[in-house]
Amino acid sequence: MTGGPAALELRGVTKRYGDFAAVTGVSFSVPRGSIYGLLGPNGAGKTTLLRMVNDILAADEGNITILGSLSPGREASTHLGYLPEERGLYPRMRVGELLRFFGELRGLGAARAKERAREWLERLGIASWATNKVQDLSKGMQQKVQFAAALAHDPEVLILDEPWSGLDPINAEVLREVVLEQRASGKTVVFSTHLMEQAEKICDRVCIIAQGERALEGELSGLKREAAGDRLVALAVEGDGARRAAEAGPLADSSIVADYRDRGDHYEVELAAEGQADALVAALVAAAVPIRRFELVEPSLHQIFVDRVGAAAAAERRPAERRQW
Amino acid sequence: MSTPSQTNAGGRAPRAWLVIARREFFERVRTGWFLVTTILGPLGLLGVIVLPAWLGQTTGAAEVRVLDRSEAELGAGVAWAVDQLSADVNAEPAEAGTSEDELRARVEDGDIAGYLVVPSGALDGETVVYWGRNAADMQFVFTLREVVNMALRSARAEGAGFSRTETAALLGPASFEARHAARAGEPASGTGSFVVGYAVMFITYMAILLYAVNVLRSVVQEKTTRAVEMIVSATRSNSLMVGKIAGVGAVGLFQLAIWALLAFAMLAYQDELLAAFGIAEGGFDVPAIQPAAVAVSLGYFLLGYALYASLYAAIGAMVTSDQEAQQAQTPVVVVLVIPLACVNLVVQDPGGTIAQVLTTVPFSAPVLMPMRYLLGGAGAGDVAVSMGVLALAIACAVWLAARIYRVGILSHGKRPSLRELSRWVRR
Repeated sequence: MTGGPAALELRGVTKRYGDFAAVTGVSFSVPRGSIYGLLGPNGAGKTTLLRMVNDILAADEGNITILGSLSPGREASTHLGYLPEERGLYPRMRVGELLRFFGELRGLGAARAKERAREWLERLGIASWATNKVQDLSKGMQQKVQFAAALAHDPEVLILDEPWSGLDPINAEVLREVVLEQRASGKTVVFSTHLMEQAEKICDRVCIIAQGERALEGELSGLKREAAGDRLVALAVEGDGARRAAEAGPLADSSIVADYRDRGDHYEVELAAEGQADALVAALVAAAVPIRRFELVEPSLHQIFVDRVGAAAAAERRPAERRQW
Repeated sequence: MSTPSQTNAGGRAPRAWLVIARREFFERVRTGWFLVTTILGPLGLLGVIVLPAWLGQTTGAAEVRVLDRSEAELGAGVAWAVDQLSADVNAEPAEAGTSEDELRARVEDGDIAGYLVVPSGALDGETVVYWGRNAADMQFVFTLREVVNMALRSARAEGAGFSRTETAALLGPASFEARHAARAGEPASGTGSFVVGYAVMFITYMAILLYAVNVLRSVVQEKTTRAVEMIVSATRSNSLMVGKIAGVGAVGLFQLAIWALLAFAMLAYQDELLAAFGIAEGGFDVPAIQPAAVAVSLGYFLLGYALYASLYAAIGAMVTSDQEAQQAQTPVVVVLVIPLACVNLVVQDPGGTIAQVLTTVPFSAPVLMPMRYLLGGAGAGDVAVSMGVLALAIACAVWLAARIYRVGILSHGKRPSLRELSRWVRR
């Protein structure tokens, strides 16, 4: 990650629709050259946040700063690429012209826009379709064109709203590659998703939003360490006798084990304190319990999220509360 | 990394509204519809030039038979009067012994255009009746009445001892023409002014409606294809709206320019054109076209289009489908049609107060002012005031529409109520 000003910085950003607070006092900072995940259940306010960054909506309170000095608007838009959740292109436009159009709209000169359009079509393997109309393309190819449209002007910061929803597996992989490539070339990627597993695979940092408020924010590995505190162990033992011995002996020892859950083929053990793993191994060996697997594990993002905000807040906000604006 | 670099290399970036306008322009100009309507316009004009001349050539004079039941040989008198008055009618006395039923049968067969029954008491005021296929042709009926009048008068004159030659000299028709009281130094034929004014008004009305509705459809299409969010993230919704209106308007101007050029060419070479269809004479007397009148007409088309297009854009932003758009546009269509219903008020008294009010109110001015100007009812001062008011109205409409548009384009739910709409505008 490179230093300098953040790619994107939000401070106390609030958005209300009438009496409904879509987003309340959200702050976070996206370092340059990172992949940043904005996570949360549907209706948490992720799209509203991203729309404010893209100057589609105006924040009621708070500040949004792009690349250290820009506010959302026309100039900032030349450095931002955006793939909205609601995707759509002009069906009657030819693919090459469409990409040039988006490039120029985001501030490229005509010659550069043309060049970039060609590069992207080649990169995505659809160069031979450049003169076809969008409506003549398959759904999968239209999705590729949509990525290219968001990237047409070589943006410094790429913003993707629920990018994996509705993608076929091939395009999901293409998108993952594109996102990693962007980071490799020093660009910043911010995306939202309600699928925590997606975020876990690819993000450097995450911000979890629940009911319009920030619930958790930080580096992914740090969050996991912090949440687990090296206190979570996956333990598997051989045979029923061993299971009984373990449950009667070491696992029941409250000085070592705070709690454990039977997960079928293994136990998920929560240690009483950090650094108690050695003590548990010693106790198991002393009790002559044959160990098949012993592993310090990290909790899933979803687990961290539920632990932190509670199951109620983790649920989707009811559509009745949401207003279409 | 310090401040972000300015726009990328590779040429200066065009302004967003221009990029949008260009896209709208080319997307429309390349469609089959544009080609079809662009060709159909001049074809229509070709028809207008060639058809009447062709019809005039083939139909020739209307054949009329005169069934004379009078004692004064009025049948021969009618034939004589026709010779004196009109080349469009050929009247001959019906052969002796012909019955009215036979004549009616000939009319039905298309053998003759009609027949005239002159009753025995015609000289004493008994009604002369014409039966014919062309009895609804006002021009023909008017001519025929003149003819009958002349025949009766000459018969009466003969009774008083005048010869035919003397009667002809006494009763010969006056040469008469109505001229329109236009601005000083610009005499114009009354009918000519009216026809040109009416044509300009109708074209302006049609063009405004056609292209403004195109803006509406463009907005709705962008919403239904969900392309709009990609656009408004790159530029302000104001630029999007201005770009759209400018792009579609440019299509309108382009098409009108093609039509105007072809029309000028066709009218300039109409004799050659008619000759190509094997027609020796006919065609129009092209009225002299004043550059000022062209400028005024064009100016009002552009201003009127801008006003109505921004209203239509706002409507497009409120609705979510073409069907909804159909309903929602009714109020605007009504506002645009009202001036059409008021045309006569302007024609009857182009310089009057009513005409002045109608051409100052921004909603009716674009349609009615060119007509009023052509009829000489408005001077440069009137046009300036009217255009000023119109420009002000456009500024208001664009401001209002842009605010509705900004919120409306992202709304996919139900149509907003008036209360919600006012909230959109205030935010």
